[in-house]
Amino acid sequence: MTDNIYLPKIGRIVGIDEETQGARAIKTFKVEFPNDDGFEHDCGQCAMLSMFGKGESMISIASSPLVKEYKQFSIMKMGRVTSAFHAAKIGDFIGIRGPYGNQFPLDDWKGRDLVFIGGGVGLAPIWPVIQTAVARREDFGKITVFYGARSSSDIMYETDFEKLKASAEVQLSVDAPEEDWQGYTGFVPANLMDKAPSPDNAIAITCGPPIMIKFVIQNLQALGFADEQIYTTIENKMKCGVGKCGRCNVGKDYVCVKGPVYSWSELRSLPQEY
Amino acid sequence: MEKILNQEKLREWVDMLDDCEVYAPAFADSVWNYARVEAGTDIDLSHTNTIGSVKEFVFPQREVFFRFEKKDGVPVLTATLPDPKPTVVFGVRPCDGRGMPRNDTVFNKEFEDPYYWARRDKLTLVGLACNQPHSPNCFCQSVGGSPHSEDGLDILMTDLGDRFHVKGITVKGVEAMERGRDAFGAVRDGDQAETEKVHDTSRSHPQRPLGNLDAIPEAIRESFDSPLWADMAQHCIGCGICTFLCPTCHCFDINDEVISPTTGEGERVRTWDNCQFPDFTMHTSGHNPRADLGSRLRQRVSHKFLYFVENHKTQQCTGCGRCITECPVGIDIVAVLERVSQS
Repeated sequence: MTDNIYLPKIGRIVGIDEETQGARAIKTFKVEFPNDDGFEHDCGQCAMLSMFGKGESMISIASSPLVKEYKQFSIMKMGRVTSAFHAAKIGDFIGIRGPYGNQFPLDDWKGRDLVFIGGGVGLAPIWPVIQTAVARREDFGKITVFYGARSSSDIMYETDFEKLKASAEVQLSVDAPEEDWQGYTGFVPANLMDKAPSPDNAIAITCGPPIMIKFVIQNLQALGFADEQIYTTIENKMKCGVGKCGRCNVGKDYVCVKGPVYSWSELRSLPQEY
Repeated sequence: MEKILNQEKLREWVDMLDDCEVYAPAFADSVWNYARVEAGTDIDLSHTNTIGSVKEFVFPQREVFFRFEKKDGVPVLTATLPDPKPTVVFGVRPCDGRGMPRNDTVFNKEFEDPYYWARRDKLTLVGLACNQPHSPNCFCQSVGGSPHSEDGLDILMTDLGDRFHVKGITVKGVEAMERGRDAFGAVRDGDQAETEKVHDTSRSHPQRPLGNLDAIPEAIRESFDSPLWADMAQHCIGCGICTFLCPTCHCFDINDEVISPTTGEGERVRTWDNCQFPDFTMHTSGHNPRADLGSRLRQRVSHKFLYFVENHKTQQCTGCGRCITECPVGIDIVAVLERVSQS
């Protein structure tokens, strides 16, 4: 990190994967630091990404901390900055500030089963945890990954999911019926109840749209998961990333500093403004 | 250091601060506000309180973080850290002075804000005790302050009629007094007692009462889901004046301004923003955690009287009363807190 907390480092896009198409398309960008001034990060942390002239957006770092060569970011085309990213080409330069926020306490989960529940582009913040857990496979019990998308063409990391099946149970779902769809049809919280993973010695990690998270947590509780066994991230609107601009303030926390990772037992003590 | 300054010597002291930018309250367009003291002009410290707060000297409404341009296709960033002359502000009311340590906390902490501190380190605040409340909406004593609080000030002046009692509080303050030493006289018998009498009298003037300050955080916590907030905010027009004029509100936005689309040259700019605007918390997806006026009023009040207290053991409100006086629809933070406390 530079001394000036608002001055980004320069990154170069070295890879672009088109994850999904359409109006809310998702692309995954691999970014290197040409000035050799990159940074280490932990699972769950974010970075402020710049397209100079368009502005900055807080984006989850979607690559495992074990990957040192580049940082990966999966970005849905939504606004001015993200649209500029979607128009970018390999070799283009961007700005990066970070890493920001706290981390998933992966080391505390040694020996436990891990149940991941992602929805839409909300898979990106928990993807580094999945990748790191799989890389440290012997440290954990059963790993299950639930992921739901609107349709089969909206599933991100599709190729990686195929690889993931070698190390983890993968449960995919789409919201609406489709011909030839082999997975579950329906929303993610319903698929979770359908498969009913055991809460015994397990940790559940979820991220997705706020409404999905809400029902996933309700269902996890119905399955017997205690509040301390449930983790999520709340990526509120963020601008400064350093706990000053006030935008991501929830209760006494600036989420960009104290979050975005919370156990449900921590999060329920905050006002529900996320 | 304590000295006496005859009223007519004030200008002499200011003239000795000739390598500094000096500001003092000036009355223009029907309001008092800080203005640059030019050579040969009078300084009038009979002001009420300024419309803008002293936070503007360290946290300007618009500030450029850096310029960006492209050279051979590669972005080049040039930080525009301010390098101000030493700045001395006269006539700072104690409520505004008390705002500064609170702002220091926000802009320091884990991530130090270099733009804020470039200005803050060069700023000397010369306070002026209030001999009486300047507004029916003053409530500094209800939030732990006083009309002659020294908190956050480098110097405190007390108006004794024909002369000022001047007390240097910090190293910066004492230095500013030493630079004008020829203008000052010694504190003589009776000056101290008279100063204390002025302070005692100023404390005895009635102010807006706030009830039990210690009970307010719990009252706010318990009223989180109360319909009271929507009721109290129903007239709010979301203009944000309450936060812009507040000496401790610090929320901001960051945006890029393009100077030349052809060269890709532009500036990244910080501007004041505030929690009363509907899109302040709106996610790009359209989800808004505080979508209604009531929840936004609750956020402003909660931040000042609950969350800041939880984090820093003090209120983020110094009782200046600007947010009450200047609210175009009469939303009154003291009345809000009273209703919340009684609910």
